Amino acid sequence: MSTDKVEKNPEIIGFACLYCTFKASEMAGSLRLKYPEGVRLIQVPCSSRVDPAFVLKAIFEGADGVFVAGCHPGDCHFIKGNYFTRRKIAALKEMLDAFNMKEKIRLFWVSAAEARRFVDKVTTMYNEIKERKNVREKG
Amino acid sequence: MLGKKVKNGAIEDALNRFLKEKDKNKLVIGFEDKENGVFLRAFGDHVENFSLFNPFFGINNALHFRRLFSKGTKIILLLRPCEIRAYVELIKLSQIEREDIIAVSIDCPGTISSKSINNNIPLEAKKLKEYLEGNDMLRWACKTCREKRGVVGDAGIRIDQDGFAWAVPYNNKGDDFLSLIDGELEEINVGMLISESKRIDKFQSEMDKFYEDFSKCIMCKNCRDMCPVCYCIDCVFNGDEYLPKGDALLNKILRSGTVQLPQGKELFHFIRMYHVSQTCVGCGACEEACPQGIPLTRYFKGISERLQDMFSYMSGRDFEESIPYLTFIEDELKDAAD
Repeated sequence: MSTDKVEKNPEIIGFACLYCTFKASEMAGSLRLKYPEGVRLIQVPCSSRVDPAFVLKAIFEGADGVFVAGCHPGDCHFIKGNYFTRRKIAALKEMLDAFNMKEKIRLFWVSAAEARRFVDKVTTMYNEIKERKNVREKG
Repeated sequence: MLGKKVKNGAIEDALNRFLKEKDKNKLVIGFEDKENGVFLRAFGDHVENFSLFNPFFGINNALHFRRLFSKGTKIILLLRPCEIRAYVELIKLSQIEREDIIAVSIDCPGTISSKSINNNIPLEAKKLKEYLEGNDMLRWACKTCREKRGVVGDAGIRIDQDGFAWAVPYNNKGDDFLSLIDGELEEINVGMLISESKRIDKFQSEMDKFYEDFSKCIMCKNCRDMCPVCYCIDCVFNGDEYLPKGDALLNKILRSGTVQLPQGKELFHFIRMYHVSQTCVGCGACEEACPQGIPLTRYFKGISERLQDMFSYMSGRDFEESIPYLTFIEDELKDAAD
């Protein structure tokens, strides 16, 4: 990797629920909304499919941020999947907080119709992480 | 609290009476006092040299009972509270069928590492407690133990201030166990030798500290193998996906640049820390098994208590309490989403 680049772009891995967030990202595409290219989506059948081990693996193999996105609580295609997600990711956040790495993980609720919300959330996360990353590189 | 006062040797008699009736296959699993230390023993037909306490901690003995589906064999387990708690967690994870097993937890005055086994340790409750506290030999996990009292499982054996043992039932199976012991149920009015434990401070660490502590790790995975609640037959770390070897490792290095070998230490310990977070009983068996002397208990116990507190859960406290990741309440964690 070249080191003479002034600004480094973060890489963000997103686990997106097939029934909502992934659909929202497709809709964002058809609405010609732009979101940062550093965001890579991984489609999962339900947000509760995401074992926090996946998130940890992504973080320790070089991702600057990871988000898990699913339907709003109560709207899960499988009735109650995202309630489990909420518990699991909240616990994972608490665990990363104990090591001062809480900023690396986010949990979003985005329904299939909320393309704009999806782009908003992802872009905000990207910019925050980019800012922090570049500050750290300089310092 | 109702209980039966147990005279000297009464427990051994009761267990022998239990084994004598040969209507079913029967086993008593408990500690045996030998010349060169105290060890766990499965007594088949006769109980001898039985000891309530085992001051040497080698492994968490609930480990032996994983995937135990007793098939009609009646078993009485007499173990330390941390071991009974791990046993309760394994029942919740359907690794043990509790049908024919009576689990009895015994007040634990604390333990020392089995690496420093010696013969000078007395095995009577009061003297043992004084000895361990006087010599400051307790393991860190025992100093910070969350439940030293025998209040978990089906029945408990509590020690009072004067060093007498009391058997206390907690459910129907506990009543069955008490019916083996002579004497009448009576109200316990004396104070107990071992009181409720103090809580440790909320765990907080840094990645730099983590790397410093774990730089010695040789990735032998003994901590995983000796953990009583790390029960998966097909562990994620057995394949190549999480800890690549050979060509897969080469590919990974070419992709991500320099890595320290053996690689994946932080990944292994973080994932394991998360996976056992709600079931960890803080017994310190991982640290005991570690050939490099890494202070694993500090991390695993710290994280697990922090995460269990989120759901006001305590591993092994109750048979009916569900493991937090396997259940939910609709109206909770409002601030979890960003």
